[in-house]
Amino acid sequence: MARAFRATTRGYRADMESHERRLLSHLCADVITMLEARGEALNDAATEPQDSFAHFRRELAGLGADLDAGDEIPGVEPPEDAALALLLPDASTDPVEAAQFRRLSEASLRETKIADLRAARMALESEPVTLTEEQAPVFGRALNDVRLTLAARLNIDDEAAAERVHDMAGRGKAATTDEFMAELYTFTTWLQETLFSAMLDVMPEDE
Amino acid sequence: MSSAQGSTLTEGGTDLDLQIGVLTSRPYKVVVWNDPVNLMSYVAWVFRSYFGHSREKAHQLMLQVHREGRSVVASGPREKAERDVTALHGYGLQATLEESE
Repeated sequence: MARAFRATTRGYRADMESHERRLLSHLCADVITMLEARGEALNDAATEPQDSFAHFRRELAGLGADLDAGDEIPGVEPPEDAALALLLPDASTDPVEAAQFRRLSEASLRETKIADLRAARMALESEPVTLTEEQAPVFGRALNDVRLTLAARLNIDDEAAAERVHDMAGRGKAATTDEFMAELYTFTTWLQETLFSAMLDVMPEDE
Repeated sequence: MSSAQGSTLTEGGTDLDLQIGVLTSRPYKVVVWNDPVNLMSYVAWVFRSYFGHSREKAHQLMLQVHREGRSVVASGPREKAERDVTALHGYGLQATLEESE
């Protein structure tokens, strides 16, 4: 069983069993794969040949008056997958504004997250898991992305659902996929809580 | 937002009217929304470390998100607000940009 993150003279340290580190690393890899697939899907959509004729077709159809609106660069739609939607949220409650923002920013957000998750996998290679002050927030963000993904898979969309998952995890031997995911969710939640509690403790007081 | 056990999701509040393509120099607000996954300690830490808010201020903003469903955590020119929203998304928080009245 793992021992929680705590502050040491050389950063933060958690003792984890090798199967726990492997599992967490595997979850990080799954999130990376999801993010990469989203990027590939968007790239494929952008290079679909019919897109380049859209403008031409409008002109042929005599939609001259609408050309201004048609010339507007199209935004990027939010992901349909619930986990990706949590990882890559809309930046506005207005769908059009959100789609425009997404077109400009989503790729770099995906890259940032993938880099965080890769760094977390590196940190999980060694026992104990030791993080410098610089590495700790990166690891924390990656843990959070794993939690968001598991939460979406477990349909945690309100407090009651979160409690159900907590209870499910407390029952001991996981027999179903949901019970197993619930245990993983509770484990990563606990790791993150201990890491950020330790980080808040050593944060310098306000100037 | 959640404690280690989770908490309320207060989605909604789409009463804003974001005008697209109007004056870009108008100040923008950065809004963080409540969700049942992000931990209270984590959210408070993000507000402190990213915005440099005091312990007290970060805690108040975090509680406002938790209790009222949303909180304006920063405001400024559009470019800065966009950077803030993207950074908050990097931390996994549900953040949006909103034009000031």
